[in-house]
Amino acid sequence: MNPIPPPTHPTNHAAWAVWSNPIFRRYCQARLRLRSAGIALLLTLLIAGFIVAMVSSIGTRSFMTPVDAARSGIIPLLVVQGLILFVLGTAQVAGGMTAERDEGVIDYQRLIPMSPLAKVLGYLFGLPVREYVMVGVTLPFTAWCLWRGQVSWRIWLPLYAVVLSSAWLYHFTGLLTGTVARNRRWAFLASIGLVFCLYTIIPQMAKFGLVFFKYLTITPVFEECLSGLLPDSAGTMVRTAQRLLPTVKFFNLDFSEALFTGFSQGGLILTFVIMLCRKWRRAESHLLGKLWATGFFIWIQLLLLGNALPLIDPGSLFPTHGLSGFARIVSDWKPQPMEAVAMSGMYGLVTLGLIFVLGGIITPSADHQLRGWRRARKQGSATLPQLADAATAYGWVLVMALAGAAGWFLFTRALVGSHWFPGHAVPLSTLGYFAAIMLSCGVGFQALLEAKGGRVVVLVGILVGVVPLMVGAVLSAVDGMLTTAAWVTGMSPLSLPFYAVGSLLSLAELPETVAQAVPQAFYCWLGAGVGAMLWLSWRLWVARRAMAASVLALPPTLPLSPTPSC
Amino acid sequence: MNQPSLHPHGGRAPAIDIRCLRVDYGAFCAVDDLTLSVPPGEVFGLVGPNGAGKTSTFRVLTTLMEPTYGEVILAGVDVLEDQAAARRVMGYMPDLAPLPSDLKVWEFLEFHAAAYGLGARSERRGRVAECLEEVALMEQAQSWCKELSRGQMQRVVLAKTLLHRPRVLILDEPASGLDPLARRDLRNALRKLAEGGATVFVSSHILSELAEMCSSLCVMNRGRLLAAGTVDEVRRQLGSTERTLTATLLTRQDEAAAWLKTHPAVHDLHLTGPQLVFGFSGSDEAQADLLEGLIHRGVRLRAFEEKRSSFEDILVEVAETNRRP
Repeated sequence: MNPIPPPTHPTNHAAWAVWSNPIFRRYCQARLRLRSAGIALLLTLLIAGFIVAMVSSIGTRSFMTPVDAARSGIIPLLVVQGLILFVLGTAQVAGGMTAERDEGVIDYQRLIPMSPLAKVLGYLFGLPVREYVMVGVTLPFTAWCLWRGQVSWRIWLPLYAVVLSSAWLYHFTGLLTGTVARNRRWAFLASIGLVFCLYTIIPQMAKFGLVFFKYLTITPVFEECLSGLLPDSAGTMVRTAQRLLPTVKFFNLDFSEALFTGFSQGGLILTFVIMLCRKWRRAESHLLGKLWATGFFIWIQLLLLGNALPLIDPGSLFPTHGLSGFARIVSDWKPQPMEAVAMSGMYGLVTLGLIFVLGGIITPSADHQLRGWRRARKQGSATLPQLADAATAYGWVLVMALAGAAGWFLFTRALVGSHWFPGHAVPLSTLGYFAAIMLSCGVGFQALLEAKGGRVVVLVGILVGVVPLMVGAVLSAVDGMLTTAAWVTGMSPLSLPFYAVGSLLSLAELPETVAQAVPQAFYCWLGAGVGAMLWLSWRLWVARRAMAASVLALPPTLPLSPTPSC
Repeated sequence: MNQPSLHPHGGRAPAIDIRCLRVDYGAFCAVDDLTLSVPPGEVFGLVGPNGAGKTSTFRVLTTLMEPTYGEVILAGVDVLEDQAAARRVMGYMPDLAPLPSDLKVWEFLEFHAAAYGLGARSERRGRVAECLEEVALMEQAQSWCKELSRGQMQRVVLAKTLLHRPRVLILDEPASGLDPLARRDLRNALRKLAEGGATVFVSSHILSELAEMCSSLCVMNRGRLLAAGTVDEVRRQLGSTERTLTATLLTRQDEAAAWLKTHPAVHDLHLTGPQLVFGFSGSDEAQADLLEGLIHRGVRLRAFEEKRSSFEDILVEVAETNRRP
């Protein structure tokens, strides 16, 4: 055994130097062994080759030009690449990260002297390295199709740039899921489910005015590039259709789809990086700091508004605009008033959902709070630093609720006050109601979570959030019970945004049977909600004071100091 | 020999300096204001029953957990203030020594050598080979980690821990799963490391092993430090003067038994034939007086045996105390 030599001074691993990142290289070694990766690569090669050969053959048989025949292969190849990168890659990242913890080797990685960012990037590119190589195998076929199909680089470059940025976004999501999830199978399923939702459920939200969410997928850029990727005949039709579509706008600024997608995804990627670095730096940390979470919420509000507002006047924000298709060119298309009401309600619900998620992230558990107070006592302080994880998140969620109410109000006012609905306007008092909803639900949720913990919140969520919706749905199917159903359904915080717009907006055309019940239920449950929020806030204040007092009242111990005795 | 103490002493700066360390899990206090310092070059053992706070202490020392409060200095580096520097001076071998299933032994060590930035590729390979030699696993270099026996896995992780030549080694149950020969090798290896200036902080449930391996040790229970020092010092600090005495008498057994029963330090006396077996909780002086008293009373004493409670017994008692509500 060597006697202890002078300590080594390890080189710093630059985060950007991915190729020399030890974690990346470790996964290259493990996942690119010829024995295991060979079959996957061979299979990919066969599929890509088969696609190109098949479309070329069909093209020749159906007397297509060589250019059109080559172009026919681009989209099937893109689908294969998307499946490999988005689905397999994301699942691999999430599952691989959880496996590290399952095997118990994650502690080794925590201890290696690399910056958190270098570790995150090592995993991000290392875990799905086989999937990158599999996509790499298909690229010569894509390159051949693009070259033979005479597709301009102005078409394929933005498309593939967004494919890559989307892959990173999903892989970051997988990494985060794998870091947080306790079970490998759950992490795997959750990450695949997330990508599936992004391409199935999220686009439906975009139809209800929440346009921003579609920029988390490659869909907008793909649609923009589609005419250039299709054979000439089909491309002409698409080009005609595209001329009818507006360009992407963010408030009054014009962006290309690719640039805006990159901008939207970039913000999310940055947030994910922050979350992962915090977790690598200290495993017990909240995923986001209080300031960042609040800023992120406001940024999402700006994106939602910035995307939606410019689309109101041309009408393309309304769901029926998309459904009516070419019919609207000839017919006198107009949005339905209840469309606007539903869109406003949906905006409120999504905002509330965001408050729940971000508020949940920054709310300290009882354990965190207790440790925070003990640390404060040890340091001779009687308060907690505002930005510490142990500090209350009440004020920050309050700010989010008010910002959310303002965003919701601006969206609703622009929608209702647009030229589509002459004679209608949204009074300023509506902002007060919206704020009351956000505060009663958002702040009430936070106060309950901080004072009573996650289990109570889940129980209350089921009893107050879900059960009334289910009972209401059952009652609504019973003859003569519609009024009761309206009252019961209104109890759920999830229905409150819809009840609000149904009651407050002059546009709302409620069915006669519930025209009275809905507003009455809304005012009643809102009052109850505000009361509950105030009571919960008071309980939280009492609980925090009691906790602080119980810790600070203990006999003083000597503060930490350089002196050895204590 | 260097004496570990509850408080650092003058002269050399301690290699491990823990001050007022507290770790809470909600309302449960796992480590309660622990203060301890270990001088450099020591093989220092940490003993305690399950739930004593050993793992929590180790996790704080290795930067894997943030304590409620307290200070931890490893080789002059404040662990809570400068995690990166602390990770460079410290090597950690966790309990159960997990290994990745998708790497070979050589690759696993090479990865860690690269992560610690141990020079160019050839230097790293040289160091990996050196560490594999040290744990006598050179033949398994090309084996898959998942194919190793438990003891071999322990040795691979030990090799990984030694790679970057840490000044402080923190080893959680390093001897578990090792055969007697490997344990002896480990003991020798740790001693050599300590002779070279490294400080080894090691926990174990195999107390006899720990007593042989360590120059000094400490005992924890319910998050508190009960005793620290050499094995004998710890025994004394834990107040264990309890022993069982056996006197083999040729004559006057009944008379001797009657007299012994009146002695305040004697209890649980049994007379079996010529043998008197009894518990004694007095000092060494009192024991000598007892023997003198017996002889003085004309008892013909053929043999006198003393059996002290073993270190294991003491710790079992500590563990029992831990279980009691």
